[in-house]
This record gives sequence, C-alpha cells and structure tokens, in this order.
Amino acid sequence: MKISLNWLKEYVDLTGISFGEIETTLTMCGLEVESFENQNEIYKGFVVAKVVEAGRHPNADKLTLCKVFDGKETLQIICGAPNVAANQKVVLGKMGAVVPQNNFKLSKAKIRGVESFGMLCSEAELMISNDHSGIMVLSEDSVEGTPITEALKLNDIIFEVGITPNRPDALSHTGVARDLAAIFDRELNLPSFPTLSNSNAASSIFSIEIKNPELAPRYSAKIVQNVTVKDSPDWLKDKIKAVGLRPINNVVDVTNFILMELGQPLHAFDMTHLSGSKIIVRKAGSTESFITLDSKERKIDPETLLICDGIKPVAIAGIMGGENSEVTEITKNILIESAYFNPSSIRKSSKMLGLSTDSSYRFERGCNPSITLEAAERAAELIASLTGGTVVEGHIDIYPEKISEPQITLRLSQVERILGYSIETDKIEKILTSLGFSITEKKEDKFIVNSPLFRPDCEREIDLIEEIARIYGYGFIPPVERIAISLEKKNDDTILASRLRNIFVGLGFNEAYGNTLLSEKTAALYGKPITMLNPQSIELSRLRTSLIPGAIEMTAKNINVSEKNLRLFEIGSVFNLVNPKPATFSDFTEDKKALFLITGEANQEEWLTKPRKFDFFDIKSILNLIVSNFLLDNFVSYSYYSTQNNLFDLSCELTVQKDGKTHPIGFGGSISKNVLKEYGINQEVYCFELSLSELKSVQRPFPKFKDLLRFPKIQKDFAFIFDDKVKYSEINDFIKKSSSELLKEISLFDLYKNESMGSGKRSLAFNLVYYDFNRTLKDEEIDADFFGLIEKIKSNFNAVLRGN
Amino acid sequence: MNERILSIKNSFITESASVSDTKALEILRIKYLSKNGLLPALLSDLKNVAKEDKPAIGKELNLLKNFVESSFKEIKERIDSAGSSSKETIDLSLPARALPLGSKHIITQTMEEITDIFKTLGFGVYEGPEIESDYYNFEALNFAPDHPARDMQDTFFINDTFLLRTHTTPVQIRIMEKQAPPVRAIMPGKVFRNEAVSTRSHYQFHQIDGIFVDHKVTFAELKGTLVAFAKQFYGSDIKFRFRASYFPFTEPSAEMDITCFICKGEGCRICKHSGWLEILGCGMVDPNVFKSVNLDPDVYSGYAFGMGIERIALLKYNITDIRIFFENDVRFLKQFPALK
Repeated sequence: MKISLNWLKEYVDLTGISFGEIETTLTMCGLEVESFENQNEIYKGFVVAKVVEAGRHPNADKLTLCKVFDGKETLQIICGAPNVAANQKVVLGKMGAVVPQNNFKLSKAKIRGVESFGMLCSEAELMISNDHSGIMVLSEDSVEGTPITEALKLNDIIFEVGITPNRPDALSHTGVARDLAAIFDRELNLPSFPTLSNSNAASSIFSIEIKNPELAPRYSAKIVQNVTVKDSPDWLKDKIKAVGLRPINNVVDVTNFILMELGQPLHAFDMTHLSGSKIIVRKAGSTESFITLDSKERKIDPETLLICDGIKPVAIAGIMGGENSEVTEITKNILIESAYFNPSSIRKSSKMLGLSTDSSYRFERGCNPSITLEAAERAAELIASLTGGTVVEGHIDIYPEKISEPQITLRLSQVERILGYSIETDKIEKILTSLGFSITEKKEDKFIVNSPLFRPDCEREIDLIEEIARIYGYGFIPPVERIAISLEKKNDDTILASRLRNIFVGLGFNEAYGNTLLSEKTAALYGKPITMLNPQSIELSRLRTSLIPGAIEMTAKNINVSEKNLRLFEIGSVFNLVNPKPATFSDFTEDKKALFLITGEANQEEWLTKPRKFDFFDIKSILNLIVSNFLLDNFVSYSYYSTQNNLFDLSCELTVQKDGKTHPIGFGGSISKNVLKEYGINQEVYCFELSLSELKSVQRPFPKFKDLLRFPKIQKDFAFIFDDKVKYSEINDFIKKSSSELLKEISLFDLYKNESMGSGKRSLAFNLVYYDFNRTLKDEEIDADFFGLIEKIKSNFNAVLRGN
Repeated sequence: MNERILSIKNSFITESASVSDTKALEILRIKYLSKNGLLPALLSDLKNVAKEDKPAIGKELNLLKNFVESSFKEIKERIDSAGSSSKETIDLSLPARALPLGSKHIITQTMEEITDIFKTLGFGVYEGPEIESDYYNFEALNFAPDHPARDMQDTFFINDTFLLRTHTTPVQIRIMEKQAPPVRAIMPGKVFRNEAVSTRSHYQFHQIDGIFVDHKVTFAELKGTLVAFAKQFYGSDIKFRFRASYFPFTEPSAEMDITCFICKGEGCRICKHSGWLEILGCGMVDPNVFKSVNLDPDVYSGYAFGMGIERIALLKYNITDIRIFFENDVRFLKQFPALK
C-alpha cells in the first residue's frame, strides 16, 4: 500500500526524525517499506522558468527555438510541444535532471543542428498525469527559478509498504501513524469526528434492513442532499494521486480519502436510483447477473451478499457498487454507506467473482466495526463542504448485535517466558495503551486488556506479547549465545540418498533436479498420474510418475548443446494413483526414486585411450556396484529381457529376496528408439530407476571385518566351445553347482566367435580361483575338482574343450 | 700370495674404470667372478698357503672379494640409470587420461551445508511428503480457512483434501505428532507454489524448515541460534537484524536480515539499495500449532524458522536466473564439483 509521508504527518508529529529513520522504523515494526519515491530526489533540477522568446527552428518545422529564463540565466532550449509560446511560465528540466517518465538524464544536446540546454516538460514526462498533449503551463504568478518541489508541492515521500494479512489496521494512514506514534513516543492526532446527532431526520426518509446480520453485522448510512458533483479541489486530488488512485469527482474522491485515512470502505449511491427509499442487505439467493461500476456484467453466486434497494440489487456488498446507482455529474442526493461485513464471506465472494478491490481487500482482512458511523459522518461533512450540499441531520445505523472488544488476560510472567527477556511493567503498559489497547484491570502479576476492534489479529495473550516485542523492538532483545543440546538419538532421513549420491558422484555422474510437473501425455506413459486441479498449463498438469521422462528431456537438451556424453542422476519423488479419486494418503503413492542415465561415450578418444560407447553392460556394472555397497549378494536376482516394451528396447529388473519377500528394487534398460525419436535423440540412452524405500528395506547392516586370506590362491583356466543358445548364466550356475566349495571366484575372460568353430557356436574362456581360508590347498585336490568339472561341462553342454 | 692379491686388485681397478655398458661389464664379470675366473682361482689356492698364514691371507682375500662384488654392483647401477635416461625420453607434457568426477547439484550442496551446521547444533534431519493434505499444510499450522493468509502461498491443489505442499513447515506437525518434546529438527525438501516461471521465481523450489520445542525455549534463544547459523554460513563479519513479520504458525514472527554480502551493506541492486538481505523467516511456535499436536502451550514453547534454498544459492553463487537450477545443462552442473 502507498503511504504518503506528508499525509502521515497530519496524524503524528515526526519533527526531528529523519526520513531514513522513519523508513527503517516502519520496516522493523512489521510494516516493510518495499520501495519509496522521494519526490525531492525525483524532481531535483526541475524549476519554474519563463519562455522569453519562442521562434522557429531553422531546420525543422515542428520544433520551436526558445529562449528561457530560469531565474538566473537565459538558456536556449529546443521544444517540440505544439503549445509552447512566449511569456508562458513552464517547467524547465535543467541539464543533469532526470526525466521521471523515462529516467533520461538531460544534457546539452544538438537537435537538428541547434544546441539545446535543457527541456520543457509535459505533465506526463513529470509523471504528474497522463497528459502528454503539450508542455505543462503554470499559473502566471509562478516565480522563475523556484524548484517545482516547492512551486507544485511535489515534496512528498511515498512509501510502498507491504502490509501482512494480519494487519488490516495498517491499510490506512491513521493505522500506520499509530505504530509510529507508539514507537517514537509521540501523540497520535486522529481526525476529529462530528458529534453525532440524535435527530431522526435521516431515518424518517430512508430505511435499512439487514436480512443476514451474521454476514453484515453493521450497516450505517448518512444522507447528503443537493450536491453538485464536479472535480475535487487540488488538495484532495493531490492526496488521492499520492496514494496511487485516480481522482474521479468530489464525492467518490471523499469516499476514497476516508478509505485511505481511516481504512473504512465507503460507498456513495445516487439516491434517485434507490427505489422504495430503502436498502435491504441480503444474500443473492439465486444466481443473478449484475453490472458493476466498471460496466462489467458479473455472475452472482447465491451465497454472495448483495446490497439491494426496494426492488433490485444496487451493489455487491463490500466489493463493488452497481452501475445502476452510480454517482454521476447529475446526481443530486447521495446515500453514504459505511458498513462492516463478515470477512470470510467477502473473501469467498471476491474469490468467486475473481474481483478484488480496495474495499474487499480490507473487508476480508477485517475492518473496524466500531468506526462505521464516525466515518460516514466525516465523509458526509466533507462531501457537503466540497459539493455545496447539505447533510441531512441524524443517521441510519443498523447494528443488531454490538460486537464487543475481546478481553485478554496478560500474565506478565509470560512475556519473559516467551521472549527470554524482561521488559518493565510500565513499558508494557505504555506500549499497549499507545497502540489503542485499554488496560481495564492491573494486578501484581497480570493485566486485563481490552483489544480494540481495529486489531482483529489481537485476541490472545501471545498476540499481546508480540505487540510488546514489536514496539519495544526485536533488536533490543539480546540473543542468547549458547545452545542446550538434548542427547537423544538423532534422526536423519537423508542418509540413504546421501550414500547413493556419493556413489554416483564417485562414478562421474552429475546430479540433476528435474521437474515434478509434466504433461498428461508424458506422465501417462510411465504410470497412473495424479492430475492437478489448477495447473498453470496442460503441459504442467500432471505429477511425474517416474524420473525417466524428465531424464530423457534433459538428455535431449544437453545433446542439443553438443553435450553428448552424459552421466546424470537424480534423486526425487514420483507419484502414482491407486484410487482415481484420492481421499486418503493410501489412495496414491509417493515414492522416492534414484535414477541414473548414461549416453554417448564412456571414454572419449584420446592418445592414450580408445573410445568406447556406453552399453547395456555399463548399467549392469553400476548396479553391481550399488548392490555390493548396499545388499547381500546372495539374495539378489536380476532379470534381463531383450524383448521390446513401450519404454525399453532392452530392459532389466533387479529384485531382492529377503525374508521370503520379493522386493522390486528397480528397472531400466536401453530406452526405446521410438521414445528417443520423439525427443529428437539419435544415440543410445541407458537408464535405471531404483526405489529408495525398497533399497532401504533390504539394506544390509554395515559390514564387520573378515580375516584376510593367509593361504595361496590357485588359478585355473579353461575355454570351451558352446552352442550359442547356451546362456552365460546357465554355464556360470553350472560351474558353481558342479564344483566343491574350494572354488571361490569365476570370471569370464574371453568370448570368441569364429567360422572355424562352426556356425551357432562360441568360445567362452573362464578363469577359476580356488582357495581355502584355513589351509594351503594341495595340487591333487584342485586337479580332481578342476578336471572333474571339465568332464561335467563337456557332457552337460555338449561343449568342446579348446586348446588340447 | 699377497702380491697376487694386490696385482689382481690393481688390474680390476684399472679395467673396471673403463667399463661403460652391460656387455663390457659381463666380460669383466666372466674374467673375475665366473667359475673359472680369477677370484675363484685365488680362493682355491688358499688351501696351498701355510697354515699359520691362512687367517691373514684369508682375510685379505675376503676383503678383495667384497670390494670386487660391491664395485660390480655400483657399476651395474651406474650403467642402468645411464641407460634408462638415454634410451627413451617421454614427453611428460602430453595430456593425461580424462577421469570423470561427478558433482552434486548446487541445491543439494547448499542444503547439505545448511543441514550440517544444524546437525552440529543437535538437530535431527526429517523429511515429509511432497503431496500434503490441507490439514498438514495449512489448518494444523493455524491458517484459518478463508483467511487471506492463504493468499501468501499460491497453491497447486489436487482436490479439496490434497495439494502440493507450499512449504516444508508441515513436517514439523508430522514430527510432533509422533515424538514428545524435546523436538529439535530440520526439514529439507522440495516445495511448490503456483507462481509464473521467471528469472526470480519458479513453481518448484526447495526449503529448509527448523523447529525446536522444549520447556522454556525463548525468542532470545531463537535469535542466538540463528545468528550462530548465519555467521557460520555467511561469514563471521556479517551484521544482522530481526524485524517484525507475520506467519500464521509463529507468534511473535520475524524476518532475519543480514548485511548484503554483495555490497557489504553499501546498497546495491541485489539488496534493493537497502544494504540488507532477507535470509529467513522465523518466530515462536504459535500456541494454536501446539494445540494441533496436543501439546500444552503453557508447558512447552518453541521456535521455528524456514529459508528458501534457491534464493540463497542465487545470491551465494552469483546466479542470475533461477530456471537454470532445473534445466540440468551439464555445463552448469559441472561448475559445482563437491565444494565442502
């Protein structure tokens, strides 16, 4: 909200306090100054000047060559405005001044070959109005050389203050002034309200009925007759403009003035358009259509509160008036509405309509129900004095159930208990009273405090403690520079992810952070996606069901920038529907996954290294590494498929058997060419997605030390020609099964195919390692084992031993 | 006999001095040390020496043998080392094999750096779900339904019950539901706001929330702990300030500012010429939050705080566009190897 410093000063004397101090104080007490406009800075270098001569520019028809006197010297200025003429008093931007409209710094310029030493300004260039039809012409009695900050009273500072939703009272100049008065210990000078009259003149010519008092607890009104609606005087226009509003007329401007002064939204009706001389406040009841002040047709929800006359709606309560009862130049008699509406009702209606106004913004945060009548009286008096109208004596004020101020018990010990710092009782009392709280009872250990209705955020003891701390100043509460640590076991949910990260980083992978939001099409490829109710776009309407699509997308992006050799990993959550209409947490799943992806070359060509592309077996190597880090090998089983599915051309799964349960740890493979084609990728991409929760459930305990082998290993090699159809895994299993427990390691060190072996054959060469932890093996026993194995392989696989 | 010993020694010294390659050394070895060489011949002649002279001659012979053998060793070493430097020269300036070392995302690194500091202060690390219920995300945290405070966090809804969490604060409710005080926890994680993507805002980002609940926890302690954190994370020379603010789940509430580390408090574009940077929101746990988890606010008190990770990383690493965090361009990712 825009707060004018000049305006603030009408309610609190800030003499002797610097602008910087005011700015900091506002920020520190919770009214954060987000930015400010200092007119003294903005209009530096702009002065009143007199056009002495206005002649033709020698080289341009539309330009005028002027001689301008700025109070000290006469300057040559080229002016492009059509209205410039000799003897005018104008605004001169001197060299060095910065034009507010475009931040252009003025300097000596040559325009069509003629020098110019400054600029004559339009209202638009000075950002005083939108008028850019010509230069601004000042009154004849303006004195040359006077800075316009003085001549045009452009000497204000406008703060843009961020008001948090708990502080509706600060959405007004008096509200902000109250905080400053309390902090600087100065008097708060609220505007004086006219004394209320007991006359029934107003109520005898107009009546008000509230049908839904729970939504409209109070409705006050004043009547002003025989008004002349016209432009407001400058002082009012200036105030309205200072806070960023547009002056309209001397009635509407007054209602806006009161809004910005007191925070009480008002609305003025043209009484001639109020049928039946009455106002009825009621819920719409049915869906209606209504044209608001801004000439827009609005669909009204049945629950929306309306202000109606004898036959029709004339305003949407607390949000916007209707076009049908708008104050115009021909308006004679007006009714000023000053009401208090239920905050959540206004908020719902405002959301439903998609319409937020200065009024609704305040009503939904909570206005002050105790001020409605005073605000209406003040507005009526001002309007009458500006429009030449007369205020009808008395008022109409429907307030069926008076709202009482909350009564709070403040235990003084609690202030120190929460703040960790003792504030003197006198100081507490002073702070509370200066903010408008009344202390109705003072006891040794507690105060009974009435909270003013303009502070709907203060209902509890803790709220008062905050007010005390806020005004006292958080900065004066000294930090306690020690910490008491409790010694219970400390939880860390991120350990598993950290371990995986360390493995991937060690293997040369770069960690990525993908997008959780995906398009419907992409998300549906990988699972049963959850849809959002209010997505930003259809492209971001689903939650990811897998980390794979995001990884493919980032791969495509990287390849596009010539980064073709990638090792990427991501750890993140994926979501899948269990029940199409989720009502409980078990109707969908949220799982943390770790994905790794490789593509391009594992080794790039270098003078020492031959290039090698990533392949399926790299996936297996990485999985083996993770498995050996986390799991007990003997429980693990891999399944490999070369058959195609939607996602993978080659795929594999990793499952672990533990305690009779099968745990699906993850799946992956080489991503299908069709999928890659959609992303414009034409190189092989391999990836694998692991479930962290499954991995956690089969995690092995941290290993214990095993004694080192103290006896020699015996190595044996053989090579066989097998039929192609015999899988490596079958042979491997068979070797294990057919050997004694002395065989500890099997490795395949060569795979070879040659025409001479006959078609459909291949040679596999194995290295076998035998040892025992407790003794040195004898050659004979290994020979028995080894040669026995050769015979078994020969007969079982019909394989041919090579090399002899 | 003694003369023979001396003469062989002298001839060995003369001949060995000219040996410069393996071949000559071998000839020398054969002449002196081989089975039929001069030294074994001398040794076998020892048996013909008079018995009383044997010890003295034997000693001389031994000395000669040791001398010849160690000379051989020396010559061989000399030849070997000379040979290796002369035979083949390696251009050591040739490039090495490229070994890849991966990287943690800078968001991960920033979160770890922050959690590590709080871990040393006795905080545990907790995670919670990214899909939250309205109850955990708002209601239990004292956001009344239809209160404008809800507008502070533009929310992605899944339906009336579920939404994408707008902050990691709901994890504090989940912890307090399960664990009696003392609760000292930090809660890192991903959060979502329905905000347009621009250089300074994104619909997904990360936060770390923290909470400490026990008997007699005070605002002064909140200040002390967060100042200690900020000095460790941003540098011990920073100045700080706590200013009043509003969060539904804390009362009193504050924002913590530190002196802008870009301009050292002079005022710059980043700190909007104020000299201050807002780094976190904090406050004392609101009694209504204690009521949601059945704790008596007259018995327990606590403080809570929360900070946005991307904002911190943007400032700390001089990054100007938040979108780059989620584009996963490896040219960006590789710029941040494991730092700490």
